[in-house]
Amino acid sequence: MIRLQNVSYSYEGCEALRTINLDISRGESVAFIGPNGSGKSTLLKLLNGIVLADTGSYVFDGKSVTRASLRDQTFARTFHKTIGFLFQNPEVQLFCPSVEEEVAFGPRQMGCTEEVIAERSEDCLKLLGIAHLAQRPPWHLSSGEKRKVAFASVLALNPDVLVLDEPMNSLDPKTKHFIKDVILSLIAAGKTILCSTHDFAYVEGLFIRGIVISSDHAIVRDDDYQKILADSAFLASQNIL
Amino acid sequence: MTPEWLLRSEGYAPRSDRDAFIDKSIRTFLSILSRIRSQTRGTQRKAFVDARVKLVSLLLLILFTSLSHRLIFVGLCGTVVLVILSLSRGEVILDILKIALAVAGFTFVIFLPSIFWGNLVGAVTVTAKVLICVAAARFLAATTEWRALTRALGAFRIPDLFILVLDFTLRYIILLGALSLDMLYALKLRSVGRNKDKTGSLSGIAGTLFLKSRDMAEDTYSAMECRGFTGTYRARRLPGLRVSDAFVLAADVAFVCAFAFIGA
Amino acid sequence: MHIPDNYLSPATCAVMGAAMVPVWTMAVRKVTQEFDKARIPHMGIGAAFAFLIMMFNVPVPGGTTAHALGGTLLAVVLGPWSACICVSIALLVQALLFGDGGILSFGANCFNMAFVCPFLGYFIYRFISQRVKGQTGEYVGLIAGSYIGINMAALTDAIEFGLQPLLAHNAAGQPLYCPYPLSVSIPAMLIPHLAVAGVVEAAFTVAIVSFIRRVSPGMIHEGAKTRIRPIFAVLVALICLSPLGLLAAGSAWGEWGPDEIASVANGGKALGFVPAGMANGFKFDAFLQDYSVKGLPDIIGYIISAVAGAAILVILFRLFSLIGKSSGQRKRV
Repeated sequence: MIRLQNVSYSYEGCEALRTINLDISRGESVAFIGPNGSGKSTLLKLLNGIVLADTGSYVFDGKSVTRASLRDQTFARTFHKTIGFLFQNPEVQLFCPSVEEEVAFGPRQMGCTEEVIAERSEDCLKLLGIAHLAQRPPWHLSSGEKRKVAFASVLALNPDVLVLDEPMNSLDPKTKHFIKDVILSLIAAGKTILCSTHDFAYVEGLFIRGIVISSDHAIVRDDDYQKILADSAFLASQNIL
Repeated sequence: MTPEWLLRSEGYAPRSDRDAFIDKSIRTFLSILSRIRSQTRGTQRKAFVDARVKLVSLLLLILFTSLSHRLIFVGLCGTVVLVILSLSRGEVILDILKIALAVAGFTFVIFLPSIFWGNLVGAVTVTAKVLICVAAARFLAATTEWRALTRALGAFRIPDLFILVLDFTLRYIILLGALSLDMLYALKLRSVGRNKDKTGSLSGIAGTLFLKSRDMAEDTYSAMECRGFTGTYRARRLPGLRVSDAFVLAADVAFVCAFAFIGA
Repeated sequence: MHIPDNYLSPATCAVMGAAMVPVWTMAVRKVTQEFDKARIPHMGIGAAFAFLIMMFNVPVPGGTTAHALGGTLLAVVLGPWSACICVSIALLVQALLFGDGGILSFGANCFNMAFVCPFLGYFIYRFISQRVKGQTGEYVGLIAGSYIGINMAALTDAIEFGLQPLLAHNAAGQPLYCPYPLSVSIPAMLIPHLAVAGVVEAAFTVAIVSFIRRVSPGMIHEGAKTRIRPIFAVLVALICLSPLGLLAAGSAWGEWGPDEIASVANGGKALGFVPAGMANGFKFDAFLQDYSVKGLPDIIGYIISAVAGAAILVILFRLFSLIGKSSGQRKRV
């Protein structure tokens, strides 16, 4: 479903990604692991079409993702509906005056009827445990609540692929468990989950596959997640543990 | 537990909509951020000419170019700018010329109708002056660090606290600008259909930006207070003038004399 | 609306700059009264916001986009004096770093965008919202304030342009700076602002203020509680509209010299058709006349051209070598 071939990307003269080769099938749950500055966030942005590769190719669901193809509005919109992105900083995703409007934004754009919009908003709010916050402005919520609102608003699009950039950052333990359960239920629902994370203790049992990116911006290991976690010598050498 | 609609993959045929405003805004913010970042890079290279001297020279050049009625003096000013440009690196020249030619071209187009009333000399002269002044101003910006510029303003008896305000401005244009850019990307990623309230979405971003700026201001104030700031600030002084600066200042004097003889 | 250098005569720029000095002084005094000195640096953050607001491409019905100024917005949320300082600083950054707006014309740009727009917009907003209670008063006040504010800024812009042919021309009667008189500059500036930019400004301002009010009303600056008396509204309106009298009172300017006015009036009338003089071809010798200076040998002109020519060759060489470099490393960002 997702194929990157020899993708490289630099920004303002600095290398950010080097010769990335990646093949991800529908329904997989993949963790991206790596030290700070390795390029995990950049890779996730690339998968969402926010940054475009300098060299190499990116094929999503059989279609090539390039600057030219994204200029086609129909393709771009279908692409963005199919792959949802949870930014590392949840604040950047919140621009509506109430939580309810924030979550309803996606379905409303998609042209769903008012009943469907209401149904989806309610379901997403309930799933993320924030139904009681529906009328509150997202701005004033705690960081955990903000992340839940951002998650709910991305989920409301019903994407097939969910890309999560360090979803556990600055969350308290209870919220981390909660988010983990949500992700588990989404995996069970057949969604493809791509997630960058530092928080190994809280993502037990979530991922089947792990991809390790080194500090020189290349993929050094693509293996079973549990095996990688068990290999402490390797993780130490990569400055991950 | 999981709602039924989440369990299925749905086909989607997006309706068309005009959302050029998101892409255009993204492009604007990207270009601003990259220009400002290069302005505040903090290069190790020591400037050849002191920022204060550059600022004074620029002001004199712009003032007398603008004042002059004689084409020959405008020609002299143009030559001065050409010589300065020829001493710069290729990338700098390109950057300067792009903007200068754009503004001058725009000026000429605006003045075009007046040419038909017989104002050819005026139109060409003003276009030339615009080209010269914008190129000179861009040259100053391209070759001077922002911090050096703000401290150079201090030579004009601008209070140090104001210099601090200017430094804050630039720093926060970068921070808030980067935040705005991310918000625009987030909006773009969720703009999958027809948005009936485009201005609403954009103003949500702008409004959030305002609230964020107020929060950051409060945090910065608290942080500065914790480090003993009470409102007095002494900006770091620029180093003294050197031989190269003296040459430029002498050239400035010659320039003013040239204006007196052939420019007025 | 940013005026570059050389559109206005240096004299006009000096006058506008002088007009801004008391405004800036007053603004600084008011702001230091309201905030303790330690809070002053975060005016820089307000200025950053003022700068960034101008960068948004706001959608216009029909698919195009336009930029807003945000003068009235800033006056409402920060207070008019703070708004004046923040917009001035934003304009300074734009002029110095981006070449958006001239250096000499900085005073004129600040007068239009940092003084007229925020203060008038704020004044109108307060006037209306104090008289019409509730949300309606708020919205109407914001719409009227921001719409009129930006259009008045466009008008003062136009007046500054339109006065140039009257104020600054050379011995032959040719305008030295902006060549268009008020009868051209005012419609040219006002029509796009009344039709498009003003509407965008009003829509954007109202939307942002309502967002802030819904989300965090405490963030909005609470202005002085004094009621604004109607007589001031009338006075301000008169002051702002009086320059329009210049359009009609052509004869009042006859004191400048009838032949000068004749040449300008000729130009102003000629819009739309080509005057007979053009049949004689353009006057190229006007250039050559200026290129030699009485009393100095022609060699000066030749030396200047030679140096300019050499500099141009060096510049072209450097630009061409850039092409060689960049085709070696193509970067798609």
